[in-house]
Formats: sequence, C-alpha cells, structure tokens
Amino acid sequence: MSAKGWMGTAIAGAVIILMGLAGLSLVSAETDALETGKPVCLDCHRQPNIHTNEGVATANAFCNGCHAKPECRRTVDGKAVSLQVPVSAAKENPHHYSACIQCHTDVARSPHKSQTGAQCRVCHSVHGEGTAHAPHLRVDCQACHFKSKFVELDPKNSNVKLAHIDLESKPISLADHTLTDVNDLKSCEKCHFSDNRIGAPAAVLPSKSALCILCHNSPLSMGHPIFGAAFFIFLVGVLATLRFWYLGSVHGEENSLHRKISLSSETIWNIIFSRQIFSLLKMAVLDIIFQRRILKESVGRWSMHSLIFTAILIRFLLSLFTAVIFYFHPNGDWAPALIDKNSPFTAFTNDLLGLFILLGILWAVVQRFIIKPVHVATEKQDNIALLIIGTLILLGFFLEGARILVTGIPAEMAGYSFIGYPLSKILSIFGLSWKSIYPYMWYAHGIVGALFVAYLPFGKMRHIFNTPLTYILEEVSGVRKEKRI
Amino acid sequence: MQATSITPDAPIRFSVLHRLLHLVVMFGFTGLAVTGLSLGLSSTAPARGFMWLIGGASHAAWLHRCCAVVTYGCVVIHAFWFLYYKFGLAGAWTGPDSIVPSLKDLKDFKHHLAYFFGLEKTPPRFDKFSYMEKIEYWALFIGMNTMGITGLVLWYPECFTRYLPGFFVNLAQVLHFYEALLAIVVKFFIHIGMVHFRPEIYPADTSIFTGRSHTE
Repeated sequence: MSAKGWMGTAIAGAVIILMGLAGLSLVSAETDALETGKPVCLDCHRQPNIHTNEGVATANAFCNGCHAKPECRRTVDGKAVSLQVPVSAAKENPHHYSACIQCHTDVARSPHKSQTGAQCRVCHSVHGEGTAHAPHLRVDCQACHFKSKFVELDPKNSNVKLAHIDLESKPISLADHTLTDVNDLKSCEKCHFSDNRIGAPAAVLPSKSALCILCHNSPLSMGHPIFGAAFFIFLVGVLATLRFWYLGSVHGEENSLHRKISLSSETIWNIIFSRQIFSLLKMAVLDIIFQRRILKESVGRWSMHSLIFTAILIRFLLSLFTAVIFYFHPNGDWAPALIDKNSPFTAFTNDLLGLFILLGILWAVVQRFIIKPVHVATEKQDNIALLIIGTLILLGFFLEGARILVTGIPAEMAGYSFIGYPLSKILSIFGLSWKSIYPYMWYAHGIVGALFVAYLPFGKMRHIFNTPLTYILEEVSGVRKEKRI
Repeated sequence: MQATSITPDAPIRFSVLHRLLHLVVMFGFTGLAVTGLSLGLSSTAPARGFMWLIGGASHAAWLHRCCAVVTYGCVVIHAFWFLYYKFGLAGAWTGPDSIVPSLKDLKDFKHHLAYFFGLEKTPPRFDKFSYMEKIEYWALFIGMNTMGITGLVLWYPECFTRYLPGFFVNLAQVLHFYEALLAIVVKFFIHIGMVHFRPEIYPADTSIFTGRSHTE
C-alpha cells in the first residue's frame, strides 16, 4: 500500500473510532451510566455547546440524571435536605431553555460542590435606581427573586442572601427553582417588616423620582404621586411665567401670541448663528457658571453663593454622568461605583458637596439674621428658600446616618461617608427603632425635595432662571450694568 | 443690534421651527444613512472601516436607532405643526401657499416641459412650492413613515409577531433596505441637485437656514 493509502485508512479508522465514542456518549446520556455504576469517561469529561438547544438538552439530561430523582439529597446536621429539582418548577421557569451550568458555573468539576452559587450577572445586569433602591446592590438576586422566605445577612461581606436554614435553624432545601413575582410589592415584605434581622427598613419605599436628579442618581419615572404633583406645580409655574413674559409686546407686536413667539424665536435663531454667540458663551461661562459679577461685588458673598450653587451644580452633573454611564455600561467598572452610595468615591463626594451646601446656607443665615449688613434686605422669600434648602440637606444627612445604622454597614466601608457615619453613631445612642423611623425620614426628605422643585418657579429660587436670562438679554441688547441689586 | 432689525413684515419662507427641524433631520438623516449603509452592506471595505472607527456593529445599531428616534421625532413634530397650522392658526391646507398638490401643478409641469423644449418663452411662475418640491416632500413624507414603521418592526420583532405573521419581519427587512436606498439616492442626488445646482440659486439655496425667501 502507498503512503497515501495508509493515510486514508488511518483517517477512516480515526473517524470510525470518534463516531463510536460520540455515539456512546449520546446513548449513555439517555441511559444514565452513573446510575448503573459503570460511568464512561466521556459522560462527565466533555463540554456540550450550551449555546445550542441540543447542547442544553444534553447538559441538562446529565444533571437530571441525579437531580430529577427524589433520592437526590444531602445530609446537613443529620437531617436530609432534598436536592431534587422539581420538573414543574423548571417548566414554569423562564430559564427553562438554559443549561443548568449556564448559571451554576462552578459545579461541573470535582468535587461536585458549588462555591459561588448561581451566577445571574453572567447574563443580567444590575437593576437601576427605578427598579430597586441602590442599597439593593448589597442584596443577592436570589434573595428577592426566589420563593424562599428565609434570608440572612452574610457576616463576611454584609450582603443579604437566601438562608440555608429556617428560623428554627433547621436546614432547608433551596432546590425549588420557582421565581417570585417581584412586581407584587408584597414579595418585598419578606425583608421589609419591622422585626427583620437583616437591616431592612420596616416599610417598602417608592423609588426615587426623576426630579431627584438635581442631587441624586435617579430613574426616568415619577416614583410617587407627591413628586408627580410637585412636577405639575413646577410646570404650571413655568408656563405662568412664560405667559407673563409674553403679555408684553415683542418687536411692536401686541396681540398675536403666535407672532410674538415667531419674532422672538427669529431673534434667538439669528443670535445663535451669528458671531455674537461667542461673546454670549464667554459671558455664560464667566458670569453664570463662575459668577464673576458677584465676585466683583464681594468675595464673601461670592464664596457663600458658590458654596451652594456650585455644589448643587456638581451634584446635578454627577447624577447626569452616572445616568449616562449606567445606561451604556451597567456592568463596567464605573457604574457600580457611581450608583453605590457606599462606594468610597460616591460616599465621600456626596457628603462633601452636601456639607458645602449646608455651610453656604449657614453663612447666609448668619449674614441675614446676625450680622445684618446694609445690602441684605431680608425678605420673606429669601428666608423660605434658605429654610427649604437647609432642611433638605439636614434631613438628607440624618437619612444617610439612619441608613448606615439600619443596614449595619461596617465602619471600614461606611467611614467614607464622613458625615453620615458619625451621625449614625450619634443616632445609635438613642435606642429607638430606627428601622421603623427610617421610612418616615425618607418621606420627610422626599416631601421637602418635592417642595423644593415645586417652589422653583415661584419664590426666590426663580433667580436660577431669571438672573442668567437677564444677563443674556443685557448682553444681547448691549446694556452694561455696573451694579445690580 | 442686527438681529432685532427684522421688521414684522419681512418675507419669511420658513419659520424657526422648520429651520430647526431641517437642521436636526439633516444630521439625523446623514447619521442614519451612514450607519444604515454600513449595516446593510457590511462586507464592503468602507463599511468595515466605519465599523472599526465606531467600535462594531452593536454601536452602529445603537447610533442608527438614536438617529432614527431623533429624525422620526421631527416627523411627528412636523405632523403636529400641520394640525396647529390648520386649527391653531386657522390656515388653509390648500391654496397657493400650500404643499398639497393641486391642478396648477399639472399645468406648471406641462408649461415647464414646453419651456424646456423651447415651446414657451418663459418658465412657469410657481406658487410658494413648485411641483418638484411637492413631489420630493410627499415622497419623503411617505418614505419617512415607511422607514419608521418597518424600522420599528425590525427593532421589536417579538412584539410585532404577536399580531403579524413572521414573514412580515422579512418583508420589513426588504422594504427597509430598498426604501433606504431610494431615500438616500433621492436625498443625495435629486435634493442636493435641486438646492445647489439650479441656475437660479447656485451655489446654494440658503432659505432653509436664513428663513428668507431670497438670499441677501
């Protein structure tokens, strides 16, 4: 035989052997060689392609060889715990067409024991602020999404997870794969009741609102009717202001609102597409963002105002940045650090900026009520604005302290909240049931926040819109005011 | 200040809203064309170069959908403006200022052809919009909606196949691709030809940017 002939025979032989092996493994998956006591190497040592239906079926048939049988159990503290996965549960499960080892990533090895549990985050990303509050970053997916009522606080990393024991410390089976309907808020009450042991507030709280984006990472929803009402009042105020502006005449037009809007939009269009836009932009950066005109009047007043304004602006920009980052890369390195209130950067930055705002408010209060310089004409509206922002920040800090206290975050992690953590220690002196008080504090902060938004177009805080607009109009019409009051 | 010197009687052809919509659609449409062609003709060298630049097909798809939402948003605003024009401003949907085709367009077309062949001494005097602009407008209006609807079917196939048979997705794919080619060819050849290379307005008809009916 020629060399070619030998090679042909060898290849044919190899193909026949491989086909035989493949056939053997397929057949043995059906007949379950493990149970007959005569396992063949390839029963276990193979890697079905779990991205195909056939591979999923093969992989699951292998697992079900044991886990579909009632005698599949293990012994914990002398008590048998079933490891049988009910067929009905698997059928109703949305993961019905996934391989077991898709989620249980570390079980296909020897010894056959999982270190990590099921891995949801291989496919799913973390929830945003609208679905579950940020503290739920410290809650395992299974703790909410699985039916078992028993949850515990992991002492290692203070995460909330499903417990392997019930309330009487008897071992329980977690083999039931049925998922909870988490849209039913009743399912939240397995943690959120007054005597829970895992540091959950005693009530289920609504999500933050889109309005909260002024200072916090927020979802794109209203969250609670009080925020909806606040937003409605805000809109009415804005429309009323716009209507008031358009009562006057525009370029000589007195009557038609359509003509007035056309003429003013014409002017805006012509300014945007002219060289004047550059001087306007320069003015916007210097006079609006860096508040040059206030600085010219007094360094003290500028410092006081900037403490409040710049800190709120940075928190607003940071929240927007977080929203964008979370939208694009929820599983990246940045998003979890930005949405987690306990991560060092976020905890420290939020406390620092909150402190700046509070210092600015305190400074203003001292100016207004104690020093009383000539230029300060204390008006009711100014006092209301100071009261709302000051209360909002104070409640925020106390809420943060209560959150750290209730959730029991260890000091080495919570310490970055350099105001929240000491406050939590102070709160802990009072032996109150903070779990039950926390929801009231949350609503108090939320209501004052809603009040802040609703009040924007009416009182003193209207200057946030009016003053920049006045600057722009002055720049456009060439009026230079040396001194403004 | 020069901007305030507009008198209320200045002849304005396009309002600020329309100028703004045109500007947005100009960029939105170009974005759609570039990303869409790169996805549709993905094996070609320019498409591969573009994909390399923006980081892969998933980014192209994302950009394509972004541009689609913005562009179709303009179509919706434009449709609302039509209602506002009729009911808010009590304007007429027909007549010399209207974009709606009329008998005069047929006469203009005949007249224009006659002018091209030397049978008439002068070109026809068009109303506010000529028959060419009307054809372009309505082709684009129908095309935008076709693209929007078929695009939505391709974006949410699971949702649509609950009510429609599966081959509608294939149908949408075919329609989306060929309608896109048609729209791109019309935009980049006929539209650009009409607004740049007609002898009366060469090098460019700037009225959609300045709003005025003639260049200053």
